[in-house]
Amino acid sequence: MLQHGPLLERLLAGDFICQISDEDGYRHLSDEQTQQEINHYLRPLNRRLVSNDDGSVFYLGYHELSKEAREHLSSQFALTVQSLLPLLEWLQLVQETLGRDSALTAGDTIKLQEFVLRTEDNQSLRQRLNALASDRFFNSQSEQLDSQVKLIFRRLKEHGYLLQPHSERQYYIVTGKIDHLLDVIRFIRDEEQLPVDDTPSQEALL
Amino acid sequence: MAPLEPSLASNLFSIGAERLALLGKHHKALMQGYLDGHIDETAFSEAALKKLIAARILWRPDEQQPLALRPLVSELIASMVADENRRQINADVAEKLEQIRNRVQAYRDAQFKGDYSVAELQLQRLTEHVHDLSGQFEEAIDSLWHRLNSDFGFVSSLDDKIRENERAQKQLRRLLDGLDLLDFNELIELSEGNNHLRKLLVSQLQNQLSSHHSSLLEVQKRLVQLLAKFRQQQARSMLIANMAAFLRQHPKYQPADYPNRSELPTLFNQAAAIRPQAAIALDKASERAVLAELVRALPRPSSIELPEQHSASFAELMVDEEIAARQQALKTDVENFYLRVIDQGGKLSALEYLAQQKLDWDSEIWLYQILAEYQALPLEEKRMFGILRDEAPASNVNQLLLIRDIQIALKAA
Repeated sequence: MLQHGPLLERLLAGDFICQISDEDGYRHLSDEQTQQEINHYLRPLNRRLVSNDDGSVFYLGYHELSKEAREHLSSQFALTVQSLLPLLEWLQLVQETLGRDSALTAGDTIKLQEFVLRTEDNQSLRQRLNALASDRFFNSQSEQLDSQVKLIFRRLKEHGYLLQPHSERQYYIVTGKIDHLLDVIRFIRDEEQLPVDDTPSQEALL
Repeated sequence: MAPLEPSLASNLFSIGAERLALLGKHHKALMQGYLDGHIDETAFSEAALKKLIAARILWRPDEQQPLALRPLVSELIASMVADENRRQINADVAEKLEQIRNRVQAYRDAQFKGDYSVAELQLQRLTEHVHDLSGQFEEAIDSLWHRLNSDFGFVSSLDDKIRENERAQKQLRRLLDGLDLLDFNELIELSEGNNHLRKLLVSQLQNQLSSHHSSLLEVQKRLVQLLAKFRQQQARSMLIANMAAFLRQHPKYQPADYPNRSELPTLFNQAAAIRPQAAIALDKASERAVLAELVRALPRPSSIELPEQHSASFAELMVDEEIAARQQALKTDVENFYLRVIDQGGKLSALEYLAQQKLDWDSEIWLYQILAEYQALPLEEKRMFGILRDEAPASNVNQLLLIRDIQIALKAA
């Protein structure tokens, strides 16, 4: 267990561990033996390892759902629901701004400067970014494009969706937490039977 | 060269060489024509155009149409530059097989007649056909790998990539069907009793084709995987776009209360963070030196006088003990706020802290007390903190700045 100290600390602090955010840690966590050891260790803390459906990201959940645990989960869930639209809009905005043909996935790199340059000269992208930056989730007070973008990316980094490999260099890597976000969206959609499609219509296929 | 009629052969040679030279002579204009899809006729002289048309390099597909490269020439260029948008795959095996059968027959006939020079020529042609057949698969496989390895990067949209992938899979199926047409028993029969033929049709061709076969299966596997990936990407993009549209249309949308279900979906089971803290163990003599070092490093207040007195005097004036107690409680909370700033080391928003700690002070009073406490600090300690006001004008016409929130940050000593 000793060699997993730093990993445990990250997990306890609420970090999501994926191949991007911590390659070694992720490899360890993918091992069933290690999972059991960690769960055993976490038991007195009322924590256990949880992963998303396809096992691309690990984090800690409660072992037993005490009243306090439920309370925490409720407030956490409220925050998640609040953050859905801004995160989705950000994903769309990045995809469109950078002219990518598919949605961002774990491991994709975003250069902040490129994003700023492309937004600068495009009035409609500029407006959408402005609206997004002032959303409660990002809560930017600035009118400056540059600082708005920086704030948005910093917040996403704080929330664990982005990784900044070098603190002085402005490029970011998308982490596996984005998979978790999409799993959450898919779950809500299925559960509530929302009219939200993710397969192209028959017409488009032909 | 084969002993064809000498005059015909030399004629073929000179015409062929001359026409190949035409390609080289006009290489730039022709390549431009390949890229544009038609030829800029002004780039050529009248005579040159006539020659190019006679050489079957250029043609006019239709009276109204400009001159263009003949399909075979385009194909040649596409294959040379591996331009996957235009490269053609020829999966027609039946025709080639037919030619091989005919040549074998002609070769045997010539041998039977004792006409060895003709037989030699037929064997030469047969060899070419066999190589063509193998080369046709090789070219197709090369093109398929090229497309795979570039992730179909020669088309831009995901939809196009999916279509291209499906087209490649169809080509691949035709190639595999073509391979199935080859019946090695028949080839063994064809080459019976002749070493040359056996070597050519059985050992050589069979070897090549079986390696092509396994290549094709590998490509097929990868194509299917890649298509699944493309479809997954497409599903993601659509999910994102459609969910965002849905949430925009229903701003008040609230999903069910999953965290309080008896069966909690694991997706929503995200435990609160625990940050392990540690302190120096006083019972360990060995750590005393470290402790002493740390104590020495603490910033030393120049005066022991506590800043409390400034605002404490305010409290003393209060006759009502309850108000005094509340005032003291507010002060304690504010002090705790400052202590948190010091502990945490970063900057801390006053209102966020207020909400986090679930303190029931009015936000305005809270901010006021934080400012008051800050002002009451001795100068040296004041320098330890950075104060950041989040303020905005009262309205468009009124430039009075209203403070909305305050952030206190610990400055490096």
